[in-house]
Amino acid sequence: MAYSDKVIEHYENPRNVGTLDKDDASVGTGLVGAPACGDVMRLQIKVNDEGVIEDAKFKTFGCGSAIASSSLATEWIKGKTIDEAETIKNTAIVEELNLPPVKIHCSVLAEDAIKSAIADFRAKREAKKELAGADEEQPATPPAE
Amino acid sequence: MNTTANNAFETLGLEPRFDLDGKLLAERHRTLSGKLHPDRYSGRPASERRMALDRAIQVNEAYRQLRDPVRRAESLLTAMGVPVGEQKEPKASPSLLMEMMEVRESLDEARQQKDLDRVGALGEEMRGREEAIMRRLSAMFSEAGDDPDQLKAALPILGELRYVRRFFEELEAIEEALMDA
Repeated sequence: MAYSDKVIEHYENPRNVGTLDKDDASVGTGLVGAPACGDVMRLQIKVNDEGVIEDAKFKTFGCGSAIASSSLATEWIKGKTIDEAETIKNTAIVEELNLPPVKIHCSVLAEDAIKSAIADFRAKREAKKELAGADEEQPATPPAE
Repeated sequence: MNTTANNAFETLGLEPRFDLDGKLLAERHRTLSGKLHPDRYSGRPASERRMALDRAIQVNEAYRQLRDPVRRAESLLTAMGVPVGEQKEPKASPSLLMEMMEVRESLDEARQQKDLDRVGALGEEMRGREEAIMRRLSAMFSEAGDDPDQLKAALPILGELRYVRRFFEELEAIEEALMDA
């Protein structure tokens, strides 16, 4: 299988590989897998008070396309609000990396990972709001860093 | 999946089942391959030679497919009308994904530390996990018979097996690389 130059570039120099503290209230973790091939991908976001993704990290055990897709995803979502990041479509990843049809599922995995990390962050924020008092209208403030 | 794939059992003249006698499978493959060997067709018309070759390729593919438990389960499910594949199967449970992420990270650590013993130990642990999955799959297939609704219940277990097999592929590649180093 011939990889595109962009896939090879991300594969050789993956951006934002690593881990964020999953217990941190401002961190959302997305863990997804590809049942057909057994690849696993973890994508994490750190979100500030304004809902902007300040940092993103990933760890992917999978093929070059899966690594490139998640690497690109972290690059794209950094600096975006979670609402903006949520609209990223796998087709944009396919286009940017020139993924062949058999590797489209890798980009789907990356999109799922973004959505799942955002969902995890939102669930945490909701849980904290409830703790802070369900009647209060203003959002709970995250702990000082 | 193509028609050849669906008829892998038929190609080798075997009863479609998950619990397959490995020896019988290898024997069937050997016998059929022998019968189809190009040497036996020298001096025969080109069309016959080509047919024997096509058939030999089919036999090899059927053998590879049935030897691999994941592909064997997939052929059985497909043949019984249960769709398999990326978008048709349930997503892995979060606990399975977490477990797989953790073992893959441990394996990666062992690779970085060039710790061949640790790699071996991780493999041992996973071997037990694989055996348990195989037992569960066997039981499910024999209980489900040809009832598609019951067979669907095997999909998550098959999913687990794929993650485990992927782990072993990685482990074997690492062992090879470390031993060559």
